[in-house]
Amino acid sequence: MASPSSIEGFGVPQDVITSERKVQPDGSRRLLLCVPSLPEDRLPGLLADLATVFRRDEVLIASPDLEEPEDAPALPLTVFDGTRVRTDWVLTAGDYLAANELAQRHDAAQVLLLGADVCTLPAVAIREMADRIAAGADLIVPTYSLGAHDGLVASALLYPLTRALFAANIRFPLPMDAGMSRRMVERMASVAQRQTTAQADALVWPVAEAAAAAFNVRQVDCKAPIPPAPAASDFNTLFANVAGGVFADVEAKAPFWQRSRGPAVAAREVPPNQQTESSDLAEEVPGMVEAFRLAHRNLHEIWALALPPQSLLALKKLSIVEPSAFTIAPALWARLVYDFALAFHLRSLNRGHLLGAFTPVYLAWVASTLRTVTDDASASTHREETAAAFEQEKPYLVARWRWPDRFNP
Amino acid sequence: MTVLLQFVYGLRQGPNEPGREWMMGQQIEFALKQSMHRVLVVLVSFLPGLLAFLVAVILFALVGVIIAGVFRRVLTMARFDERLSRGTGTNAPTSLFEGTSNQPPSRLVSRAIFWLCTLVGVAVGISAFGASYSSDSQVPIFLLPYLTHVIGAVLILFAGTVIARFLARSVLIGAVNAQLQYARILSLGIKWLVLVLTAAMALDHLQVGGAIVSLAFGILFGGIVLTLSLAVGLGSRELVSRSIERTMERPSGPSEVANQRAADAQSRSRLRHF
Repeated sequence: MASPSSIEGFGVPQDVITSERKVQPDGSRRLLLCVPSLPEDRLPGLLADLATVFRRDEVLIASPDLEEPEDAPALPLTVFDGTRVRTDWVLTAGDYLAANELAQRHDAAQVLLLGADVCTLPAVAIREMADRIAAGADLIVPTYSLGAHDGLVASALLYPLTRALFAANIRFPLPMDAGMSRRMVERMASVAQRQTTAQADALVWPVAEAAAAAFNVRQVDCKAPIPPAPAASDFNTLFANVAGGVFADVEAKAPFWQRSRGPAVAAREVPPNQQTESSDLAEEVPGMVEAFRLAHRNLHEIWALALPPQSLLALKKLSIVEPSAFTIAPALWARLVYDFALAFHLRSLNRGHLLGAFTPVYLAWVASTLRTVTDDASASTHREETAAAFEQEKPYLVARWRWPDRFNP
Repeated sequence: MTVLLQFVYGLRQGPNEPGREWMMGQQIEFALKQSMHRVLVVLVSFLPGLLAFLVAVILFALVGVIIAGVFRRVLTMARFDERLSRGTGTNAPTSLFEGTSNQPPSRLVSRAIFWLCTLVGVAVGISAFGASYSSDSQVPIFLLPYLTHVIGAVLILFAGTVIARFLARSVLIGAVNAQLQYARILSLGIKWLVLVLTAAMALDHLQVGGAIVSLAFGILFGGIVLTLSLAVGLGSRELVSRSIERTMERPSGPSEVANQRAADAQSRSRLRHF
C-alpha cells in the first residue's frame, strides 16, 4: 500500500528553507521555469524580479513568446514549444508534455510551470517553490489568499474530494501553478500523453497523480490572490468542465482510493485576515433559493435518474424551506457529491446532462454557504467541516461504488 | 363439404327443375374447391421461403451472439470502458446514447454487433423469401418490399425518439441553468417538434397518407413553433426590454466605460466560484 503523501502546511520557517538548500543533490541543479505568453512589456519586468531570487547559473526561463534562445542580461531564456497562451486558465496536458520535453533537452532536475497570473506571484514564493522541489518534494502547489467567498468550487468540491479520497490536504488541487521534480514531470507527461490522444482539452490533476504514485506533495503560501477565471467563459461551462474533470479522475483512480487509508494530515492554515464583508452577499440568498426551487420543479425527474431516494427526499425538503432556514448540512452535501460522482461513473444519464443537473445543486450549496459564512474565520471553519464530512462519508461512496443497486429499491 | 353444399342448395331445389339446381351446386362446389386448392398451393409455395427466412434469421443471430461475445471479451481485456471514460468528453457525440442505457460502452458495442448480425440475417431471409416465391404467382407480393419500409420506419422512429429525448433534456437543463421560468414548456416544445418531424418522416417512408401527412405535419409543426414563440416572447418581454434599455444606456466615453468595467469587476469579485 502506498503511504499517504507528505503534506506540509503553510508558512515555512526560513531556517528550514536554508537547511533544505544545503541538501540539494549534486546532479543537475538546473531549474526550468516555464512562463506563459506575456505582453511585451511584462517579460523584462518579470525577469528582473526573478533575477533578484535566482542566480544565472541555476535557472533557465522558457517562454513561448521567443523565437530562438536568448542570453538576456537578467536570466538565460529559451523557447517553450508548447501552446501556452495567456488565456489558459489552468495548466493543460500540452503544458506538461512540452515541459517534460524541454526538461529532457536541458537535463533540468526541477520544473516550475507558472500559470497565466504569473505576474502576481511574488518572486520569493517562486523561489520557495523551487527550494522545496530541490529539498526532495515531488510536487509543490501554491496556496492563494482567499476571501470568505472566494474559490467556492475548490471549497465545495476539489479540496474535500482530494482530501477524502487521496489523503492529500492540498487547498488548491486545481493546477494553476506547479513546481515538479523530474520524475513528477515525466509522470505527468505520460498521463498528459494518454489524455491528449483521447481528449485534447482534458484537465489533468497533478495532486491526485502524485498521491496515487506516493510522491511527496506540499504546498506553499504564495500570498498572491487566486488567479481569476477567464472572463469570456460562462460559469456553467467552466463548472461542468471542472466537475467533470474531477469526477473522471475519481473514476480513473477508483482502485486507489477504495483501499483503506488514513485521513490526511491536517494543514496549518494561516490565521484568517478579515477581507470580506458578507452582509452585502446575504441579500442574494433568496434569489438563489428561488433558483433552486425552479431547478427542483423542472429537474426532479433527471435527478431521480442519478440520486438515491434518500438524497431526493433531502432535496425535496430543501426546496420547501424558507430562505432564512436554507441550509445544506456538510454530510448531506458530501453524499450528494458522491451520488453525482457515482452517477457519472455509471453513466446513469448523459454526462453533459448530469453535470448540467449538478450545477443547480452546487448553487444551492453556495446559497447555504452564503447564509452560514459571515467572515473569514467562519469560512475556514465551514471549509474544514465540509472536508471532514467528505472523509466521514467516504464509506458511503465506497459501498455505493461497489454495490450501486443496493441503495435503489 | 360436399354434403353441406348439397344440403344448402337442395333446400332451394324446386320440384320442377331438379337437374338445373344440381348443376349450380356442382359449379359452386367446384369453384370453392379450386380456390381452396389455389390457397393451399400458395401456402405450400410460401413455406420453404418462410422456413428459409427463419433459418437465416436464427443462424445470423447465433453468429451475432458468438461475435458479440468475442468482441466483449476482447474489449474487456483491452479495458475499453476505462479508456473511453478517460477520453470521452461530456459533450462528445458518443454520449448521445448514454441516456438510453446505463450499460458500459463495451456491452453497448457488443449489443450493436449482435443486432447488426440479426439485421443482416433479416435481409438475407427476405432475399431468400423473395427468391423462393414463384414469379408467375397470381398473388401479389406487395408485402415483401413493404417489409423493408417498415424496418426503415422503425429505425427512423427509434432514432427520432432518442434525439428528441436528448434535445429535450439539453434544453431543459440549459434553460433551468439560465433560470428561465418557462424551461419545461421550452423543453416539451422541442421534444414534440422532433417527435412530430419523426412521425411525419416515418409515415412518409411508409408511403401512408400522402399529402394528408405533409399537410398535418405542416400545421402541427407551425402550431408548435407559434406556441413556443408566444411562450418565449411573452415570458422574456421584460428580459428583452431590459436588454434594450442597457444597450441604449451603454456608456459612450472612455471614463464611463472604465467606470462601468470597474463596477462590473466589483460585482463579480463579490462572489468567486473559481
